[in-house]
Amino acid sequence: MKLARKKFTASVPSFAMGDIAFLLLIFFVILARVQDDSHVQWDPAILPDLKMIGAPLASVAIDSGYKTYLNGEEISNGQLTPRLNAILGETPAGQRNISFKVHKEAQARHFEPVIQAIGEAGGDLIHILEPEPTEP
Amino acid sequence: MKLRRGQLLVDPPASSSSDIAFILIIFFLVCASVQPETGLPQFLPRTEAKEEKKEQSKNLEVSITPSNIVLNGSPLKLPEFSKRILVALQAKTRPQDKVVVVKSTPDTPYDQWIRVSQAIDNAGGTLTLELESERTITVD
Repeated sequence: MKLARKKFTASVPSFAMGDIAFLLLIFFVILARVQDDSHVQWDPAILPDLKMIGAPLASVAIDSGYKTYLNGEEISNGQLTPRLNAILGETPAGQRNISFKVHKEAQARHFEPVIQAIGEAGGDLIHILEPEPTEP
Repeated sequence: MKLRRGQLLVDPPASSSSDIAFILIIFFLVCASVQPETGLPQFLPRTEAKEEKKEQSKNLEVSITPSNIVLNGSPLKLPEFSKRILVALQAKTRPQDKVVVVKSTPDTPYDQWIRVSQAIDNAGGTLTLELESERTITVD
């Protein structure tokens, strides 16, 4: 008499897939937050007829204390051009978007040197502003 | 005598909690990324060569102070400035004549500066900054 051998099935354990996906997401979220400048305190100027803007390569901000930030990190105006050059690299013109967030009470002595630095780096400047509220 | 039945411990199924967390993260990520930003794009060519400064002297000149906007020597308020700059630029046909040289006093607020910048842009002008260090950059 021939005894039937018990068959063992080998399956890939899919139980941990959710956990793996979760950890991957955390990883990418942390990577994405490298450019985060949400801690910078600033009030945007209000202007009518604004456009929606795409994702910038870098974010430059001047906060309510008139300090300059590049991607959330405080920086001097002298360092801004070389750092932007490094970020922008050989990106073709038209895609070298740099968002520029300026506290509405900042004065020309604060923001003009920053605009000059962005211009010297060949960045495409996008002033981030708040749209004027429309009347109902 | 009534016998007390031993209560069975029932754990909620924990195997799907990571999937729930995953879905929640997707939800918050999507919520965070759909908030669009609004702004005013400006093209900034690199700092101009010195020879081009001579040509700029023929262009319109705008001085911005916290209280006034001066267009070719005439002090104006923003609504009047918007009209005057539009008329002045419409009379010019060549792109190089549409360059507007803007000089701001150091205490000019950004709020005022950006409104003037938008008015020049809307009128079809090319904004050039004249900085205190006498270096000029062009803003389109």
